[in-house]
Amino acid sequence: MTSEPTQITAAMGGNAEVVEALGRRYEAGFVTDIETDYLPPGLSEDIVRQLSALKQEPEWMTEWRLEAYRHWLTMPTPDWAKLKLTPIDYQSISYYAAPKQGPKSLADVDPKLLVTYEKLGVPLHERARLAGVAVDAVFDSVSVGTTFRKELAEAGVIFCSMSEAIREHPERVRQYLGSVVPTGDNYFAALNSAVFSDGSFVFIPKGVRCPMELSTYFRINAINTGQFERTLIVCEDDAYVSYLEGCTAPMRDENQLHAAVVELVALEGAQIKYSTVQNWYPGDENGVGGIYNFVTKRGDCRGDDSKISWTQVETGSAITWKYPSVVLRGDRSVGEFYSVALTHHHQQADTGTKMIHIGKGTKSKIVSKGISAGRSSNSYRGLVKVEKGAEGARNYTQCDSLLIGKQCGAHTFPYMEVKNPSAIIEHEATTSKISDDQMFYCRSRGIAEEDAVSMIVDGFCKQVFRELPMEFAVEAKKLLEVSLEGAVG
Amino acid sequence: MSEPATLPLVSSLLDAALPPSGLAWLDTARRENSQAFAAGGLPDTRVEAWKYTALRALGQRRFAKGDAAAQSRAVDASTLALPGIDGARLVFVNGVFRDDLSALESLPEGLTLQPLSQALQGDPEPLRFALSRHYRGAGDAFARINAANASDGVVLRVAAHAKIAVPVQLVFVGAAAETDLAWHGRNVVILGEGSSLSLVEQHAAASEQAHLATLVSDIELGERASLRHVVLQNAAVGASLIRRSSLRLQAHAQATMHVLELGGALVRHDLQVELAGNGSRLDTRGIFMPRSRQHIDTQLAIRHQALHTVSSSHWRGVANDRARGVFRGAILVAPGADGSDASLSNKNLLLSPGAEIDTKPELEIYADEVKAAHGATVGQLDPHSLFYLQSRGIPQAEARALLTAAFCRAVLDDLPDQPLREHLAALVLAHLPNT
Repeated sequence: MTSEPTQITAAMGGNAEVVEALGRRYEAGFVTDIETDYLPPGLSEDIVRQLSALKQEPEWMTEWRLEAYRHWLTMPTPDWAKLKLTPIDYQSISYYAAPKQGPKSLADVDPKLLVTYEKLGVPLHERARLAGVAVDAVFDSVSVGTTFRKELAEAGVIFCSMSEAIREHPERVRQYLGSVVPTGDNYFAALNSAVFSDGSFVFIPKGVRCPMELSTYFRINAINTGQFERTLIVCEDDAYVSYLEGCTAPMRDENQLHAAVVELVALEGAQIKYSTVQNWYPGDENGVGGIYNFVTKRGDCRGDDSKISWTQVETGSAITWKYPSVVLRGDRSVGEFYSVALTHHHQQADTGTKMIHIGKGTKSKIVSKGISAGRSSNSYRGLVKVEKGAEGARNYTQCDSLLIGKQCGAHTFPYMEVKNPSAIIEHEATTSKISDDQMFYCRSRGIAEEDAVSMIVDGFCKQVFRELPMEFAVEAKKLLEVSLEGAVG
Repeated sequence: MSEPATLPLVSSLLDAALPPSGLAWLDTARRENSQAFAAGGLPDTRVEAWKYTALRALGQRRFAKGDAAAQSRAVDASTLALPGIDGARLVFVNGVFRDDLSALESLPEGLTLQPLSQALQGDPEPLRFALSRHYRGAGDAFARINAANASDGVVLRVAAHAKIAVPVQLVFVGAAAETDLAWHGRNVVILGEGSSLSLVEQHAAASEQAHLATLVSDIELGERASLRHVVLQNAAVGASLIRRSSLRLQAHAQATMHVLELGGALVRHDLQVELAGNGSRLDTRGIFMPRSRQHIDTQLAIRHQALHTVSSSHWRGVANDRARGVFRGAILVAPGADGSDASLSNKNLLLSPGAEIDTKPELEIYADEVKAAHGATVGQLDPHSLFYLQSRGIPQAEARALLTAAFCRAVLDDLPDQPLREHLAALVLAHLPNT
């Protein structure tokens, strides 16, 4: 083992023999790793190589990961967000783990979780799945997967896991991967680039309107893609896709850190609609446990007249740190961001968007609704940037915060940088609590306090829910009700 | 930031410390702030508070320290006069108090007004708290060097329940000198309980010389005190002017500020207000109009610390040519500051393709019985309004100037002093292109 570093250096120098020797060693490693199915905790070039080998990736991919890893080493941990978090020990994380052993049956699952499923009306077989109970006979995911696949293949749509895409469509992946979020973009993106385990790849060819809404939820191989997900969606000229991520029911998950990267590429006239409902485990009432959700999401309107729209409902995670952005490169391209972020107990959310106007006549619209309850903290942080050449750029931003309770915080940090005199940029923000008048009105009509709050919150979020696909919108509304339980009174 | 001490600006400002003041606490504070400045150097744009104001160019310059010949610099007193302002006046030329230009005789009852250099020789004890401050923030470089080097400035006190109706005029003039100078002014203004004061702060130029000035002001308002403060910044086009004003309002105190930023090459104003007492109220109105290659940066930070505090801020920016206007308006409502009502708006006009506006309104809310709102816009003149004026036979250039002036004037409307208001409006109009 002591000779390892020299071997690796030699391999990088292109010594064929050593590469072969290394390959053999990894072969062996591969076999044993299948048995135990995880890599030892820790992060090093060696781990990155092993991970890449485990996933049978081509060499360019390994190099790409290594480059990201080396860059990551040089980067300081970001500390600018308004977040209170315990430092993450990156050496204690195992960077490749097969699906963990979940509870044996629903009887072993936290009863609180089951009550929540009941309220959300999640079908029984899905409850088991969400809670992480191993399901086989109950829910035939394989057949569901295959039916969809056939239909999609007929339309020419590629929709598969990232690992599969790297194997089956390497040229397409290579062309687009990291072209929106470069490996060295930020601390967590670099980490993700180095160690991402899996994710989704979507490719919609020219002129195709994807026949159905794609969703990670219905894709078998999306289960337990792990804490470092990588998603890449490419829409060729005049293509259209609507992509749904996540599900409305809370996900049981033992992972502490999620550092995902999502890249969207829209070529001329293409449209991508990306909807997220994020409901990872938020920790308990005392702020113990919960997921750190640090995500880099960015869309690139590369072609003229393209459009990218982000819609997100964020209710889960102990800490959410994400800014789905759009680079408006093509002339007349459009970026949209609709967000509802709800925090309760000790949750912290720092989320928002960036709209970078580069092309002429580009438009962007931002609607952000933050709801803070309990002792939580909820920040909107956004950037609208108009470059010199963005003639006639237009932006409208609206950020509203609703406070429920005395000890929560709601913050707004919008940045506006304008370098073109023909641009029109507008930003508006308000912060208020549910007014006593509104409450009194509802109560005097015989509406229970909790119902009144959820009605008012629903009205507050309506603008965003309207953007969600139908069935998501219905669930999102219920989800807010559940999440706000105990916030009043 | 790697080798801050090597920057020419830093080393030239640290050159030759002030002579001992005879006050041990003052010398200690000066020394420690000087050391902090030497150690920290200048903030770069990675420091959030300086994100949009790069100090690279300034950091490469050298300035001579203070002006030994300030007493003899030619300044035409008549140019400093403002319409309707004929009360007490304190004038500083290149940072040094000038008795001959000031008007300190027959001060109204309850008003104490003297230069800091004299106040320190008299009874320095009341100044001890303000002058022994340590500045610890990453962006506090200029406050540190000011604390280390300021030897003059304004000490103004209004006795409890005294009403000073005639505006007090404070004038800071940059005059021609053999070389570019750096000077530092330190002001302490204290309004006693139930008193009122009208104050006009003026930054003027008697030459086009590119001096560097830092000015730190602490303004304290006692219970139910009331302050009307007008700032007219018309420094030399080459000057660098870095100001920090800290206001603190006790219960039911009220402060109104009108700020007009016209001059200077690199202008930075940190305006920090603490609404410390229940029911205190702040109104700020401001206009910044950078043109040619000017850079004007205003950083407004308002802290609502007590119950039923109110703040309302309206700021307008007009950027022309290759100029840059920067505005940050941060409102913080502290836990327990229930009943706070905060509003802020910043509207900007970009008049030229080379100009830039960076604006950042912020809300940080930790209480729930709160009304808070902010808005910011960047845009250009309404084409319909322009068309309307042109269709009535008004040439385009004039129509543009009219509309721009009207855009700015809106924030001056509630300035009660009519002659001064008209004067400021005329300055705004004169500052616009094509008139």
